[in-house]
Amino acid sequence: MTSNDRTRSRSLLDRRNFLGGAAAAGIGARSLFGASSASAQSTKTGTIRVWGEPGPYGGTAVAAMNEWAQKNAPGLKFEIETIPWDGVYIKLMTDLAARRPPSLISVESPIAMQMMAEGLLLAVDDIADKIGRDRLVEGVKWDYWGSWKGKQYVIPAHHQPHLLLVRMDIVNELGLKDPDTWDWNDLLNAAKTITQKKQNMAGFCMALGRNLCTDYHFAALLHAAGGRMFDASNKFEVAFDSPETVEALTFVKELQPYMPKGAVEYSFLQVVDAHVTGQTAMSFYWGRTLGRAAEEAKPIFEATEAFNHARNPRTSRRSNWNDFQGWCIPAQNNPYIEEVKQALLYQQTSKEWLVKYCHSLMPNVAPTYKDIANSEELKNHPFYKSKPKTVDTYFKSSLANSSSTANELLQGSNPFSGYVHGRSILAQTVQKVVIDNQTPQQAAKWGARELEAIRRENIRLLG
Amino acid sequence: MSRFSFLSSDRAVGLLFIAPFVVTALVFMVYPIAEAIRMAFFNYNPLRPDLVSYAGMSNFEFIFSDPLFWSSFGQGTVWTLLSILFQTVFGVGIALLLHRKLFGMAIFRGMLLFPYIVPTVVIALIWRWIFNPEIGVVNYGLLSVGLIGEPIYWLSTPTMAMASTIMLNVWKYTPFVVICVLARLQSVPLELYDAAKVDGAGAFRRFLDVTLPQLREVLIVVIVFRTIWTFNKFEEIYLLTKGGPGTSTFNLAVYSFEQSMASLRLGVGAATGVVMMIMLMIGSVVYLRVAGFGNEEKEA
Repeated sequence: MTSNDRTRSRSLLDRRNFLGGAAAAGIGARSLFGASSASAQSTKTGTIRVWGEPGPYGGTAVAAMNEWAQKNAPGLKFEIETIPWDGVYIKLMTDLAARRPPSLISVESPIAMQMMAEGLLLAVDDIADKIGRDRLVEGVKWDYWGSWKGKQYVIPAHHQPHLLLVRMDIVNELGLKDPDTWDWNDLLNAAKTITQKKQNMAGFCMALGRNLCTDYHFAALLHAAGGRMFDASNKFEVAFDSPETVEALTFVKELQPYMPKGAVEYSFLQVVDAHVTGQTAMSFYWGRTLGRAAEEAKPIFEATEAFNHARNPRTSRRSNWNDFQGWCIPAQNNPYIEEVKQALLYQQTSKEWLVKYCHSLMPNVAPTYKDIANSEELKNHPFYKSKPKTVDTYFKSSLANSSSTANELLQGSNPFSGYVHGRSILAQTVQKVVIDNQTPQQAAKWGARELEAIRRENIRLLG
Repeated sequence: MSRFSFLSSDRAVGLLFIAPFVVTALVFMVYPIAEAIRMAFFNYNPLRPDLVSYAGMSNFEFIFSDPLFWSSFGQGTVWTLLSILFQTVFGVGIALLLHRKLFGMAIFRGMLLFPYIVPTVVIALIWRWIFNPEIGVVNYGLLSVGLIGEPIYWLSTPTMAMASTIMLNVWKYTPFVVICVLARLQSVPLELYDAAKVDGAGAFRRFLDVTLPQLREVLIVVIVFRTIWTFNKFEEIYLLTKGGPGTSTFNLAVYSFEQSMASLRLGVGAATGVVMMIMLMIGSVVYLRVAGFGNEEKEA
């Protein structure tokens, strides 16, 4: 008896019904629940493992899935397993290699795209159709989360840009300009001024350690300068050894004296710590910093606002890094595929659960669907009142500047980016400059060689 | 009849007793080593086992032409030599102190085992806090007594990160040296010391001419084992510095892990392991020969 046989599918909510129902009911959460929850009954038993990054939102999503399970698969229980950011790649690869993947993974787009290109993920076009292809917020496409050769492999969980967090009390005290008008020179000048005039405070902080956070922070600067790792329009030839890369590396080197000295080993957590404990007046980070500051350092929370990144003075780009975090389903060694698909559909079509998901760590996880982003329920959160512009920047206005290594300058899905982050190529390139004191030109050449090796070893992925 | 006599013989009983060890060794030692050697000659991406292919010597060519392999080897050697040097010096010194008959010495001997007993994961995390430049107790202490004027970034500069990993290793494994040396000290005949005293030897002279020669064999064994274990050590470095900053605290074990897991080049990781094994075998044999281990027994 196959898993498909065991799962007695009833009539699934089709797209037209969903959209029609949503419009008629104002996308009433419970009505959507009702439609999707009646879709299947499963007699399977066991625990369905779900992987997610640290944070309450993975747990919120799983709570929604368990609500589905109570009604439709009483013998099943979804359980979240949290993976530290810096450990996500190793954990994924070792468990996939050991043939014991979880049944559902919430992961950032670079790694999702690597797995998708390797053929390890299940195509989820059927779920995407049922969710509603035209439901996405303005400025994004389904591709950004993960599609390959015409098939969708990733369902949007959220979008999540890192932006420029600024202590406005310090900026105002020192008479600095409005950060919304800054270019790189203004940012550098502000970092310098703050470091010189505020005792025991660094002007700026970003991650410089050999880790994923540094990869993501540097990628934004690289893309703002117009640089890329690979040329998606030319069979992903390596394009890293370029004046744009040198420009971005030079900028990091110029900023370094105004960062905390320990930044060369900083990863995600340390950058948040630096901002929340008042060691730095500005940092690159996702919305999580504000969530933590609200809990632990109220004055810093109140003084901090988020801005789109400073403009590159030459290109005028304000590229950020956007995680485009999505749900993907391992195709092999996964005994719960049907159940996971239905539970995921249930969560994705529930306004109530999607709002809860976003509210679980404001403003870190931004809504991906229009009906959620524009809903009054979402706006029923204190952050919308205390920091409306910051929330809007994270949730909406940042999208115009989105980029990531998985989809550089939004020019096409990159199947190599997971390998790049697995090997920390960008972070190591940065460290060649900030620790080994190599010139940006030397570091760019080193990085290009490493990227070329990745392309050569995995050229099969291009088919 | 002969079959029954074999089954009841001492030989059969001996084989029976040794069987659990042989089976365990085959499963957990011989097979993994053989598999690692085999894998060193293949290209193997763990995500795509369907694409495995024979690589010949290319994995070895890769590592020997990789500057990171050689820097990892160099750093691993420095880490090992300095760790062993300090462990031996401190181990012998502490063992001599603990060899004295003083009130409460048993408590000190028990406490000494603490670093050795606590899991490495716990120790590494604690040491990360200890070394934290802003809130770590080391900087706090040094700043408080005025030895330093500003915080030291222990894990943020290549030299200090290497020093920190060595300190952690010395702290954790010195008790092992102490235990071995202390056990040997307790079996040194007191008559030797009495005779040396009668001959007018002072404390330092007695240490050089009586204690050290008596410790020679045990120190040779301890140094060989500690060298092998330290050279292969992965978790302390990885948990404390992840091989950083940059790759300044990479050793060959971390290099092998990075190649296998982060780079998904399992063949290269296996080849690194094979090279490490050969290096340690050669090094151990040469060291034992040079140190003259077992010569006394042969002469006897």
